[in-house]
Amino acid sequence: MKITKYIIHASLGLMLIAGNGCNKKLDVLPQQQITPEQITTGEDVKAVLFGSYSALQHFNSYGERNLFVADLLAGDEQLKWVGTFVNYRQVFQKRQDKTLSIAEGMWGRAYIAIAGVNTVLEKISVVDTSEQKSIAAEAKFIRGIVYFDLVNFFGQPYSAGNTTTNEAVPLILESVGTYVPDRDNKPRASVENVYKQVIQDLTDAAAGLPESNDDGRANKYSALAFLARVYMNQGKYAEAATAANEVITNGGFNLESTIEKAFNNIAASSEDIFIIQQTTQSNAGTSNNGMTTFYAAKPVGRGDAQILPAFLDRYEDNDTRKAFVYSGVSITGAPGTYTGKFKDLYKAIPIVRLSEVILTRAEANFRKGGAPVGGVTPLEDINEVRSRAKATPLLVVTSNDFADERFRELAFEGDRLWTVKRLKLKVGNLNYNDPKLVLPVPQSERDVNPNLSQNQGY
Amino acid sequence: MRFFSFMGILLLFCMLSFAQSKQVTGKVTDQRDGSPLPGVTIKVKGLKEGTVTNADGVFKLNVEPGASTLIFSFVGYADQEVPVSGRSTINVALGGSTKDISEVVVVGYGTQLKRDVTGSIAKINAKEIEDIPVPSFEQAIQGKAAGVVIESGSGKVGQGIKVRIRGTSSISASSQPLYIVDGMPVESSLQSDANNEVTNPLVDINPNDIESVEVLKDASASAIYGARASNGVVLVTTKKGKLNQKTIFNLDVNTSWAKPTKKRGFLNAKEYIDLIHEAAVNDGKTDFANGDTGYGTEQEAIDDYTKMYDSDILDYYSLGTDWRNLAVNTNWEDQVYRDVARSNQVNLSATGGNEKTRFFVSGFYSGQDAIVINNRFTRYGARLSLDHQATEKLNIGINMSVNRSQLDRVTDDNSFSTPGQLVAQVPISPLIDPETGKPNARTLYDNGLLDALYDTDKQITFRTLGNVYASYQFLPWLNFRSEVGTDIVNMNEDYFKSKLSQDGAGIGKGQSINAQSISLNTNNFFTINPELGGKHKLSMVLGMSYLQNDNRSASIQAEGYPSDAVKNLSGATTVTFGSSENYKYTFLSYFFRANYSYNEKYLAGFSIRADGSSRFGPDNRYGVFPAGSLGWVISQEDFLKESKALSFLKLRASAGLTGNAEIGESRFLSLYNITNYPNLPGFQPKTIGNPDLKWEKTVQVDAGLEFGFINNRISGEIDVYKKNTTDLLLSVNIPLTTGYASIYRNLGKMENKGIEFSLTTRNLEGEFKWNTTFNIAYNKNKITDLQGQIINTGSQRAVEGEAIGSFYLPKFAGADPQTGVALYLDSSGKTTTEFSKAPKMVVGNSNPDFTGGFTNNFSYKGFDLSVFFTFVNGNSIYNGAGIYQTTGFANGLDNQTRDILNRWQKPGDITNVPKVGYYYGTGAEATSRYIYNGSYIRLKNVTLSYNLPKRAMSALKIQGIKVYVAGYNLWTKTDYLSDPEVNTAPLASESNTSTNTSGGVDFYTIPQARTFTAGVNIRF
Repeated sequence: MKITKYIIHASLGLMLIAGNGCNKKLDVLPQQQITPEQITTGEDVKAVLFGSYSALQHFNSYGERNLFVADLLAGDEQLKWVGTFVNYRQVFQKRQDKTLSIAEGMWGRAYIAIAGVNTVLEKISVVDTSEQKSIAAEAKFIRGIVYFDLVNFFGQPYSAGNTTTNEAVPLILESVGTYVPDRDNKPRASVENVYKQVIQDLTDAAAGLPESNDDGRANKYSALAFLARVYMNQGKYAEAATAANEVITNGGFNLESTIEKAFNNIAASSEDIFIIQQTTQSNAGTSNNGMTTFYAAKPVGRGDAQILPAFLDRYEDNDTRKAFVYSGVSITGAPGTYTGKFKDLYKAIPIVRLSEVILTRAEANFRKGGAPVGGVTPLEDINEVRSRAKATPLLVVTSNDFADERFRELAFEGDRLWTVKRLKLKVGNLNYNDPKLVLPVPQSERDVNPNLSQNQGY
Repeated sequence: MRFFSFMGILLLFCMLSFAQSKQVTGKVTDQRDGSPLPGVTIKVKGLKEGTVTNADGVFKLNVEPGASTLIFSFVGYADQEVPVSGRSTINVALGGSTKDISEVVVVGYGTQLKRDVTGSIAKINAKEIEDIPVPSFEQAIQGKAAGVVIESGSGKVGQGIKVRIRGTSSISASSQPLYIVDGMPVESSLQSDANNEVTNPLVDINPNDIESVEVLKDASASAIYGARASNGVVLVTTKKGKLNQKTIFNLDVNTSWAKPTKKRGFLNAKEYIDLIHEAAVNDGKTDFANGDTGYGTEQEAIDDYTKMYDSDILDYYSLGTDWRNLAVNTNWEDQVYRDVARSNQVNLSATGGNEKTRFFVSGFYSGQDAIVINNRFTRYGARLSLDHQATEKLNIGINMSVNRSQLDRVTDDNSFSTPGQLVAQVPISPLIDPETGKPNARTLYDNGLLDALYDTDKQITFRTLGNVYASYQFLPWLNFRSEVGTDIVNMNEDYFKSKLSQDGAGIGKGQSINAQSISLNTNNFFTINPELGGKHKLSMVLGMSYLQNDNRSASIQAEGYPSDAVKNLSGATTVTFGSSENYKYTFLSYFFRANYSYNEKYLAGFSIRADGSSRFGPDNRYGVFPAGSLGWVISQEDFLKESKALSFLKLRASAGLTGNAEIGESRFLSLYNITNYPNLPGFQPKTIGNPDLKWEKTVQVDAGLEFGFINNRISGEIDVYKKNTTDLLLSVNIPLTTGYASIYRNLGKMENKGIEFSLTTRNLEGEFKWNTTFNIAYNKNKITDLQGQIINTGSQRAVEGEAIGSFYLPKFAGADPQTGVALYLDSSGKTTTEFSKAPKMVVGNSNPDFTGGFTNNFSYKGFDLSVFFTFVNGNSIYNGAGIYQTTGFANGLDNQTRDILNRWQKPGDITNVPKVGYYYGTGAEATSRYIYNGSYIRLKNVTLSYNLPKRAMSALKIQGIKVYVAGYNLWTKTDYLSDPEVNTAPLASESNTSTNTSGGVDFYTIPQARTFTAGVNIRF
């Protein structure tokens, strides 16, 4: 009997010991991610900053849609969509509705970038003091440009007036640890207030960022170039000219000898002021997303966006930009003409190039009147860009020349829509302030945040 | 010293009982042909000891005078209980495997007599699983158990299968049941490529090795598995040897031929060309009417459009062949399928035992071609089951299977190159490009035939599933059992996309995935059967269980192959992606169960389980899951005992709590992802945590009635149940402005209620036998509370007040009789041509109201015929490809299904198919137009087999030969335009939420196979 009892006790004991030992095994840490408590050092905070660069690289941000969706919206005279994706087609046809997945994606990715940099700004004190200023400035740069694109896509343009009553997007300037509906369901801020924040952030960034920076990170001139865009939208031409001039004269950028050399590079070209880097392992997409995916012909891309033949008539025959195209077919077999700007996968995407800033200085100087900032005339500026392309220099410059030259120089780089909007031009037969040229506030977002209003037309 | 005295008493007791017993002899024969049956187990009811018949079917057994009943049992035959009634010779003829009320069922951590069970358990026997030409056993039990809904999504082989027991009971956590094989939970989540369709990890279990499958449906049956039992539990028991049985070999060989059940039918070249021309006319008219281009006359516009479409479409895709004279008329749909898909299966097993050791070994091979090209599943492996009685008290054993399976396939349903999408190609496109003499690379969409020719996707899985146990009988009433099991899955998937194929993008692309999932599980429990004396019977189980899973995977993608000669990644020049991952989870559980019966009349059961899981935060880690049940065997009451008509009647009821934690790892934590911006490795906010996250709970109540009439010739059961799930583990959307998309919360409630009925009748007995079994189940799901959350997945959504799986689309209202333009219903119920004015509404549901099966078995002499129907009723199917296949080019130039021939053509036409148009197409949007009634009744299986007479066999020293032929999916009645068993599998990367909320979607889905099988089974 004793032995039996002994064995019973032993097996009961075995069960309990096994149980106690296993209890600790219920603590399992994630193996692929980190928890916020693990952000403790300056290097960790910088890593969060770099995480926001990664958000900028995403196809829902500058990796594709911030540029490509603008091109589709303003596409009527320059390109046609021949692809099968219904959401892009709707944007191209301006038939998008409030459930547009593209709008939801862009909205969401922007706020991921913002959440990261807000965290950086809150934890800036653990960063080494020698770097605190520049890291904070870099965070503000990212927040500034992201809000700038948000206000542009989701609000009526600044040129439409009523900037204090037209609504843009919620301004989120603090990170969120847990979700508290009363605190976190913020209404949309006015276009004016978002612009104010953008200018504040970019001004701080320009002041705190270094003159140069490695690995595609923002520097002082990246911030100034974006500031120039902001002021142009507002019609503040003197400020725009000053910011642009600062970039041109002190930035150390040079136009490449040919337009071809400005694209499909593995790193920044000499005329790139801000780029999105891509590699084979880190990119905005290779089969269903990405600039190259849509703009390059099969087999490199899907070839979904083709250049309208009529658009090429806007160039002189000797203009090398006219020849910077090639023939190909789309994934559905539709033959057509393709831009050479995004011919290859895994290349850097120029976000701001020097030629844009030169054209901005030219136009800003022209429109403000008086002595040109920087001492270079608008005609000289515009001809610098034209002569690089071997286009005939202009003899005189008129108001319309600036938009036309931007359309030629910056085609398929996402500039056209904003030029149309700030100069109150048209897209096809739509006015610059047509509701369909503004993206809908995502319906899914309104489902969870009742304080959000919807844009007109949705 | 006391030990020895105890042993002495025990010995004395044995001798005493020996002295008092008397011997019973007899012979057991086969009811069909009177031949002797060797190896039949005979036990005295209520005792463990027994004997088996010898080669002549003869047995001898010592029984105590008090023993009233003998139980005869033999695999493949129904158990038979025979009263001793003082006889010393008892001859018995065993009959077919009609489910009998006295059968034994496997329950969690033990077995019970079906008679004593107070929960709702469906049992499926080996015979119903064997030899069916499907790779995994779940497909084989489709329609066999009431309330178990099994949807195999397509006619591909090796793909994921959706199993729902009593409805879907979760939204963001998995709703698949828990699978337990021989006491060990098995990994049923997938390991393969996240961008491809889900595969089915359960295909690694050879259906022919399975002895029985028990489905634990109600809470009292399943709550012993507590935290993981909300979706029901499927217990798989593999075959084991028998004591004192001479070795029997069993060889089964069969071969199959398969074709698709149905093809949709698309336009031929002439019809297609005519339709393009009609589109040109319509578009020309519209352009002229709008004044878009500024044509002078309508005819000018029509001519211009016709010319344009001739050159841009017809000339282009015909590759310069003479389409005007119909030089090419390609039936692309035929290219999707093999002429005949062949399959072969071989199973060889040996089973036997002496007085102390018993074994079962098997080896198996099966090679199965899917009906669709380039899809094949092969499996081979072996199983060993060994049990040994080491001492009188100690039993040890091992149960182990090793298995290698290989799944060859092409890309997923969403890719242009998947064979299913070949149907979209236009019939004027030649198969071979006349210029190059090679397969046509200038088709409308990527020509999947090129990918089929050059690309490969091979998934090889090695799986070792095994456990060892020791069981010690301390005292006659006390047993301790310890089991340790592992489930080791090693998966390697290699895909290669040739530079010659379109997916290879001219450079060649490859990927290699290695995944390893290792589960370790141990169960340690006491079984306590105290002698209470008199009419009381008590049986208890008390124990603990620990499970840990470690899942590692590595994936590399590369591109830039010089040629197809080297297909692995060493042949590529650029690595484009490489990563490895590791996930772990642990469960620690304690459980207790007690079953009590009084006088075999009044039954009561109680179980409780406490589970701890790594999936929840420290404060919410443990959940406690109790269940209780009561049963009343009314037929044991005196007033019914003598009834001739009523042989069995039991009323039972149960209630209990079960849980669900299948949400993946670390959901309670806030997490940052690692990002890889070039040269700037970083962290990015990913998920927002919820430290309060806890178990999802389901309370289920069940009431059942089991009955048998006229000596159980009519038997069956009926169950009603209600499952209330609360604290739903829900991935709740939060404003994206927070930087996060969603948070896991315990929010919301859902209910499933239903009724299940099954009936078995032995209509004719004697030489000609006819049995019928029938089951039907009704389930109604309702999301009762979601606190305003709306969860959308494509065309479906989950919303409060509706059933999960609702299709939510704008309502289509036909073609405008005057203009042929598509009409929709606006919010006031009037028709509108503006799609944006048509609100979405519930237009159907993918989950059926009724499901069931109906089987008739006939036998005469050595012949057996089984005819099995399944049916589902009340569900909808959404043809997701309809917006391309029947919109008259509004969404592209895809070839059209034949219903386009009913299109609107002239004013006054009343039709549901709008006019055709390419540039000015109409009705391109997803609407209720593509919702169909998905109900069907299907002749799932007919099997005819012939057992050669045993007398003929004995000369050959062969115990039996059975030859059989079978047909599957022979006949179907449905309103749906293709095969109604359709459920485009969600991609592996998609969440539980989309798997739960979606279903019944057809997107270029491969139909089911119609299969003919012929085979032979030899026992020797």
